[in-house]
Amino acid sequence: MPWEYSEKTKTLFMDAIHGKPGTHLGEIEDPDGMGEHGSIACGDAMRFTFRVEKDENDPTKDVITEAKYLTFGCTSAIASSEALCSLIEKGSYTPIDALKITNKDIVDYLEGLPAQKIHCSVMGAEALEAAVFDWAKRRGVNLSELGVELPAVEEQEGRIVCECFSITEPYLKRKIQELELKTIPEVTDALKAGGGCSSCHHAPGGLQDVINEVWGTEEAVQVATEASTATASDEKAPASPYQFGKSVEKALNDYVRPMLQADGGDVELVDIKDYLVYVRLRGACASCVGAEATLRSMVELNLKNQVDQRIRAIAV
Amino acid sequence: MKTIYVDNNATTSVAPEVYEAMVPFLTEDYFNPSSMYEASRTAADTIEEARKTVSKSLRAGNPKQILFTSCASESNNTAIFGVAKANPKKKHIVTTAVEHPAVLDVCKDMARSGYEVTFLPVDSSGNLDVVNFVRAIRPDTLLVTIMHANNETGVVFPIENLSRLVKETHPEIVFHTDATQSVGKLPIDLSGNFKHVDLLSFSGHKMHAPKGVGALFIRKGTPCRPLLIGGHQEGGRRAGTENVAFIAGLAKACELAQKHIGDEERVAALRDRLENALVEKVPYLEVNGAGAPRLPNTLNIAAHYIEGEGILHELSEHGICASSGSACTSGSLEPSHVMQAMGVPFTAMHGSVRFSLSRYTTEEEVDQIIEVFPHIVEGLRKASPYWDSVNNKPREDGLMA
Repeated sequence: MPWEYSEKTKTLFMDAIHGKPGTHLGEIEDPDGMGEHGSIACGDAMRFTFRVEKDENDPTKDVITEAKYLTFGCTSAIASSEALCSLIEKGSYTPIDALKITNKDIVDYLEGLPAQKIHCSVMGAEALEAAVFDWAKRRGVNLSELGVELPAVEEQEGRIVCECFSITEPYLKRKIQELELKTIPEVTDALKAGGGCSSCHHAPGGLQDVINEVWGTEEAVQVATEASTATASDEKAPASPYQFGKSVEKALNDYVRPMLQADGGDVELVDIKDYLVYVRLRGACASCVGAEATLRSMVELNLKNQVDQRIRAIAV
Repeated sequence: MKTIYVDNNATTSVAPEVYEAMVPFLTEDYFNPSSMYEASRTAADTIEEARKTVSKSLRAGNPKQILFTSCASESNNTAIFGVAKANPKKKHIVTTAVEHPAVLDVCKDMARSGYEVTFLPVDSSGNLDVVNFVRAIRPDTLLVTIMHANNETGVVFPIENLSRLVKETHPEIVFHTDATQSVGKLPIDLSGNFKHVDLLSFSGHKMHAPKGVGALFIRKGTPCRPLLIGGHQEGGRRAGTENVAFIAGLAKACELAQKHIGDEERVAALRDRLENALVEKVPYLEVNGAGAPRLPNTLNIAAHYIEGEGILHELSEHGICASSGSACTSGSLEPSHVMQAMGVPFTAMHGSVRFSLSRYTTEEEVDQIIEVFPHIVEGLRKASPYWDSVNNKPREDGLMA
């Protein structure tokens, strides 16, 4: 199904990519604040930079005058980044005030986003937060003294709940509360958590447990987990007796290979299963029209005579 | 704006001849082929004629071995569940990690209900290791189900050799192949190179018939129980009133594919032209499956450091219809299982784009893509935090990995 993007989203994307004047693609050199969120392995990432008009007496009165982004991601990720920069520039915010911009403001600016794409707008808000933290450090502003909490920055540390997208428990808890996420699908749409292998959905300490903890649900809503009993692909066949394998190898080396090598060919032992001996014809033998005859009269017959009459040679 | 359709592995346009062949059964010949009166004879005869045509196009021998279904997914479901139902004692299945979901997810479902499934890995070119395959086959193996050509990369598996290896040692193991992408594009001879194949699935809409019709070849003597029960149609192997018009369309499509099989060389030349030009013009471009034998019509490329969905969006603005293995296009958050199984580098994993041509694709259309694509990549790379547009190479201060 084509994504149901709003006209606004599509226009912002195209304008940005084609460098229409007034768009914000790029990176500010020597920025006053720089923040990043996401990673290329996870499918989207953003680098957000801004410049401020500095207030000489009180850095908290700095005003953001310019904002730019570089974004790896889909149409809506780039449009969300564009939306964030537009919102910030229009509002003449101080960095601290800019923190009031939420992912919902971005979604509204875009005139809606498909549910599965909400995480694109969340990324913008997170990168902004990281950039404000960076600005504070550069300008010597003590955010915690001002009562501004920047949890995202500290939440990089903590127990990882979703391994696929490296999402930590403190981050999950805060976001679940902030965005009022009540179900696993909602969490996945907004934060990507649980969108990969889904093994964290109902694992102990997994998404459902975290959701329950945040909302104080007594009884976990248990949904049958998708228990995969599929086994690994390197399933080994029952082992052939060691002695038998050795005899086959010896017969090949002592009798068969010297004969084939004399004709510019060779044979390689691939595997043995019971009395089935899998071989690969090499060199001149590999492309020889008489390969089948070689297999039967030289390889198989010799192995039968030398080792066991029940042997069958199979060309791989 | 003219539409340039290069997404033929997703679906194809209906050939005009196919449409013509179908019309009578959507108008005056609407009768139920199972009815007794004379009027229904044409419908009944058409189905049997279609069976012969389809059978002949695959050199299947006895036409009764062709079962008409609604799509390749139904054919695949019937093959796997049907074989399992007929052999309740054997519990091991061999398949690959890169199958179409209509096989992969059925196998995962079997695994949940007590079957042991071996998912064979592929290498970075998308090739299977034959030795791995041989080792996976066991005396208690029920079924081998391996696709002929991969829908995403076009990589062709050596079904001829794999089926022979199974049948030479364990004739009782059933061999199924999903040939949805290869029927009509590659030579398939069920009495020759594919003589060891027991079950073969394909569908109409990948070969210029409409969506909603498919077929399953069931070699005589293969134990396979029906999936749909409740009617005598198709010799009791698939209940449900036959879709006469669409079956007639499928037969016509098979006939046309036979007639046009020589066109595949031209299609391959166009694909190569596209591939060579893009590789030359776009730096840091991977051709997925380049090291493997591939379908003549498929080109799967991945541009490092950008995301595939944005590429598709812009292609679409130019009227170009293609698809991507990117997570963002599928509604899931993970990139395609095929790209993951091949271990495509993570910087390119999200940037894959598939162009799949057909015998209707023209040189002008290919040239149009060659014209547009490099600019799209350039534009998106300008937006990427991983790309240095000034020097046209990846950024060294690479940001978070």
